[in-house]
Amino acid sequence: METLTDPQGVKRYLVTVTVNGDRHTAVVKANLTLTNLLRDHLDLTGTKKGCELGDCGSCTVLLDGKPVDSCLVLAVEADGREVTTIEGVAQGGRLDALQESFVNHAAVQCGYCTPGMILSAKALLTRNPHPTEAEIRGAIGGNLCRCTGYVHIVEAVRAVAEGRVAPEDEGPGPWIRR
Amino acid sequence: MVLPDFDYYAPATLAEACALLAELGPGARVLAGGTDLLHQMKTGKRAPTALVSLKRLAPLREIRCEAGRGVVIGALATQNDLVDSPVLGARYPSICGAAHQMASLQIRHLGTVGGNLANGVPSADLPPILIALGARVRLVGATGERSLPLEAVFTGAAETVLAPGEILAEVAIPDGGWTGSRYLKFGLRRSGALAVAGAAVAVRCEGGLIREARVVLSSCAPTVIRSPAAEAYLRDKPPNDEVLAEAGLRAEADSRPRDSLRGSAEYRRHLARVLTRRALSRAIEEGHG
Amino acid sequence: MSAKHRVIGRSVPRLDGREKVTGAAKYTGDLKFPNLLHGKILTSPHPHARIRAIDTSAAERLPGVKAVITHRDVPDLKYGISPARWDENIFCIDKVRFVGDKVAAVACLDEETCYRALSLIRVEYEPLPAALDFLRAMDDGAPQVHEEYPRNVNTEIHQNFGDVDQALAAADHLRTDAFLGNRTYQAPIEPHSAISVWEGGKLTVYSSTQSPHYFQYYIARQFGLPLGSVRVIKPYLGGGFGGKLEPTGLEFAGAELARRTGRPVRMFYDRAEMFAHNRGRHAQYMEITTGVTREGKLLGARANFIMDGGAYTSLGIATAYYAGALLPLTYEFDHYRFDLYRVYTNLPACGAQRGHGAPQPKYAFESHLDNVAADLGLDPLELRLRNARRPNTVTPNDFRVNSCELRQCLERARELSGWDRKKGRLPRGRGIGVATGSFVSGAGYPIYRTDLPHSAVVLKVNEDGTSATLYTGAPDIGQGSDTALCQMAAEAMGYRYEQMKIVAADTETCPLDLGAYASRLTLMTGTAVMRAGEEVKRQLLDLASTLLHLPADDLDCQEGVIFSRSREGKALTFEEVARTHFVLKGPLVGKGAYTPPKLGGSFKGAPVGTSPAYSFGVQVSEVAIDEETGEVRVVDVWDVHDCGTVINPRLLHGQVHGALAMGMGESIWEQVVFDEHGKIRNPDLANYRIPTALDMPRITSEVVESHEPAGPWGAKEVGEGSTNPTMGCFSNAIFDAMGVRVNSLPLSYEKVWRALKEKREGGG
Repeated sequence: METLTDPQGVKRYLVTVTVNGDRHTAVVKANLTLTNLLRDHLDLTGTKKGCELGDCGSCTVLLDGKPVDSCLVLAVEADGREVTTIEGVAQGGRLDALQESFVNHAAVQCGYCTPGMILSAKALLTRNPHPTEAEIRGAIGGNLCRCTGYVHIVEAVRAVAEGRVAPEDEGPGPWIRR
Repeated sequence: MVLPDFDYYAPATLAEACALLAELGPGARVLAGGTDLLHQMKTGKRAPTALVSLKRLAPLREIRCEAGRGVVIGALATQNDLVDSPVLGARYPSICGAAHQMASLQIRHLGTVGGNLANGVPSADLPPILIALGARVRLVGATGERSLPLEAVFTGAAETVLAPGEILAEVAIPDGGWTGSRYLKFGLRRSGALAVAGAAVAVRCEGGLIREARVVLSSCAPTVIRSPAAEAYLRDKPPNDEVLAEAGLRAEADSRPRDSLRGSAEYRRHLARVLTRRALSRAIEEGHG
Repeated sequence: MSAKHRVIGRSVPRLDGREKVTGAAKYTGDLKFPNLLHGKILTSPHPHARIRAIDTSAAERLPGVKAVITHRDVPDLKYGISPARWDENIFCIDKVRFVGDKVAAVACLDEETCYRALSLIRVEYEPLPAALDFLRAMDDGAPQVHEEYPRNVNTEIHQNFGDVDQALAAADHLRTDAFLGNRTYQAPIEPHSAISVWEGGKLTVYSSTQSPHYFQYYIARQFGLPLGSVRVIKPYLGGGFGGKLEPTGLEFAGAELARRTGRPVRMFYDRAEMFAHNRGRHAQYMEITTGVTREGKLLGARANFIMDGGAYTSLGIATAYYAGALLPLTYEFDHYRFDLYRVYTNLPACGAQRGHGAPQPKYAFESHLDNVAADLGLDPLELRLRNARRPNTVTPNDFRVNSCELRQCLERARELSGWDRKKGRLPRGRGIGVATGSFVSGAGYPIYRTDLPHSAVVLKVNEDGTSATLYTGAPDIGQGSDTALCQMAAEAMGYRYEQMKIVAADTETCPLDLGAYASRLTLMTGTAVMRAGEEVKRQLLDLASTLLHLPADDLDCQEGVIFSRSREGKALTFEEVARTHFVLKGPLVGKGAYTPPKLGGSFKGAPVGTSPAYSFGVQVSEVAIDEETGEVRVVDVWDVHDCGTVINPRLLHGQVHGALAMGMGESIWEQVVFDEHGKIRNPDLANYRIPTALDMPRITSEVVESHEPAGPWGAKEVGEGSTNPTMGCFSNAIFDAMGVRVNSLPLSYEKVWRALKEKREGGG
């Protein structure tokens, strides 16, 4: 990895990370976390900071397809790897089924845990398109939500697993469209 | 919340990593998954001057069977690699189970076997089951390598025999003829909870008797410990309720936990007993899980 | 839902859904400004110490540091969210009163430099003995937290209604129980932050706040500015639950740092700091005495409480009054005495958390009632039915209750949960418990005295009529008020929800609203919205009357279509009439305001707990206990609520689910723990354990048919009331499973294990 040393003797490292399909290059200090690389250098603030210690999951991103707490990953460690953030889930302005389902099921309240929650659910469904409720709960066990009691979140994920994006019980509704 | 400044290195080989560590001196630390180390650095418990990342040492991520050595787990296998490993799933599902209850998926995708062992934390979830199964570790340093039983690695709370610059490279589980094993953890929440107490056992049952048993307790002493009293007692005993209950009592007697935020010493001792009994029962009835 | 409503009563998707699921939603900490500085506050490491000297020179010399401020640099005016006791300064002047008390602040080029700068500020402290145990803080010789408040008494309440002594003397059965609550914490997932920007003489603060108005009011007061020179904007907000209701210091310090540097300053708390500044739920000691007849009819009750207030008043005076005032709501009895001391300690201050003062006293009362039921050999649910409040009644402390379907809730919860089948018949280790709750739909009086309306809105139909924008100061903090208020606006105007826009929670562009607390938005802001919508509709129908040559009272408008009630085929679209209005008469605007009627009695503290309407609810939970380890597994929970007319069913049930999750956490897992130096031992989300998806049981949430005359379309609150029965229902379910009661929160595994062990050993 290319390095530069500043007049104070602090090293800077050249990292290249592919984020949501785009290659980004940044010069960073070793102590920069992936969360801060995304938020401060790339302006991708959909990745949230909740605890910064890996306890809450609001900074969840997919690193080479796997959900990780980006607050516990150094930016330099992500060099050469692929990252998916919440901004990369919708394709060309078209919401992913999970996003649509989250809105329609009111699985979103304050929304602060939502990006991480959706990425955890996305990783689950990619790996296991038809999970049981216990598997859904296990997959989001590291994403704390203080608003919803997880009820609508689990429903929203289950709906997508069953090929739906709207609640079963509530008529045609003016559901959000992708 | 910020990390202190440090220099970062990502050597391409294990030998290079060892050489670097030796050269950088005691201020340098190995970076594997980072889930413990970065946490400690953020909360001001450690401030290494350099981190030597092992991320380029791909061969150390493998989990495989090796003739004469048993199941070999590379130190860089993530906790979730253990959960998903077909090799472990076939031989020791109890290890997959222990890994599964360690932490959230996001942490399991980062945290490594080596990190969980080398940090020497008494509440770590992998050491008990690996010690119960008689695991050995391979430690590699700039001047050579050595192999020793995992249980000999831990010398105190967050203290190990690892010399500065030495890297825990592999864990091997020799075929010990165990007929069953199990790790049970008692946490205060169903996800993201450290063990209040934990017990791992391995048993070899033959002819209706427990021929040999290993009982290992976590969060019950400054290090992960074995319970010599329970192990000695179980030898050649029939696996009935009274015997398992008595083994639990003996494990409790060998435990020496402290009062902590997660539970009083009295409660943890009691849990050591219950978990030991339950783990034995499961290992006897269900094998490795 | 009633067929007569077109827009309310439907689970329309949230207005902000798309932004939130795509990561586009910007929370305060996500905002960027050119030339932005980062700021941090230095806090005290001691629970109680005199400040001898502060030397900031080394910090000032550090490259990248742009400003360092202490109490010398800010007004020394005392403040507090509650004007009844202003006892805080922006920075401590003479002494620090808890670990985390604010001492100085820095503004720097980046976050890293902030931490370095803080470590270079030298504060010379003279440590003082600290009052850490609230039950001993009133003792002779206890350390004094504030010299002005002898014996550390922050608030003292003695209320007496009817003749309690006589009522208790006449009772067939008397019982007293004592309970201890836990100090808990809101734990919103978004940490607090605030960005202060000066432009000329005007200060703009972007803040994670539940009340832009109170922030504006106190920031203006602190810096001697006219209200109009302070603009507070709430961007998206990641949960509040009471913890973001009062200025935390970030706004004051940030405003001064921004003024000095001439640059925008972003201040924030990290997770550990939030625990010290969030003002969570008071721990309290609660003694309850009731007298009942043989049949279980409550005759009178006495409540005797001591509350751990922490180092400052915060909202605690209201909390203290709420603790006793809301107790007589769910059951009818005429005689009631309430005594309380809220004491200062050298711990972080406590304030309002979901349900405000009510949940812990409710836990005590509901646990006590089950003990009474056991004494009398009565079914606990039956006991509650016998005492349940009826509609159109008045509590002994003068709260007027209009709608109240508590009995219906009890009956439905009994049915849903299979109560009759389960109570007393569950296998060993399993238990079922019930509790009731009630809460205000908005506080009858504002936090500081004012005759301004509590809510005001403007509704503007845009030029071509294809959209309408609601302007309201009401902050959506995640509960979905933007969505519900837009549904109400569309309903009132005869418009479509899909065409609604909202501008909210900005003190400059929106009319006043007191904020998201005391479960006030649906009823209070909703009423203002209804009035504004009706005003728009009236203007539309007047014009349509001219255009259609029909009397206005023959016309109506629904979902964007204006039509004649008497003649078919006579119709115009909302859009065309609105556009014509703009052409002929200028902007089509409706205004609405809401001020509650005069409520409550005239005794000391009478205003606290008054409300135009009260919600009622019942929760039943079923638990399974591992008798060997004390582990509590929640198997099932049922909630049945009377919250009047439902505006948005999915949002409503979401509130119940969330309240239950928080209440469950507080019942079993959550507690802020301090060491012997007053330092929090678990200021993180690993050791302060809020429930995860794996911990939550199945939840069934239902509402009963009800109509509240004081609410818009008959609506009232749900968000906080659903936390009120929770701790009681878990306490009772665990009691039912164990046959022995743990008298303190949380009902942790270890406490359950210990109680069972003692029961076994005691019983031989």
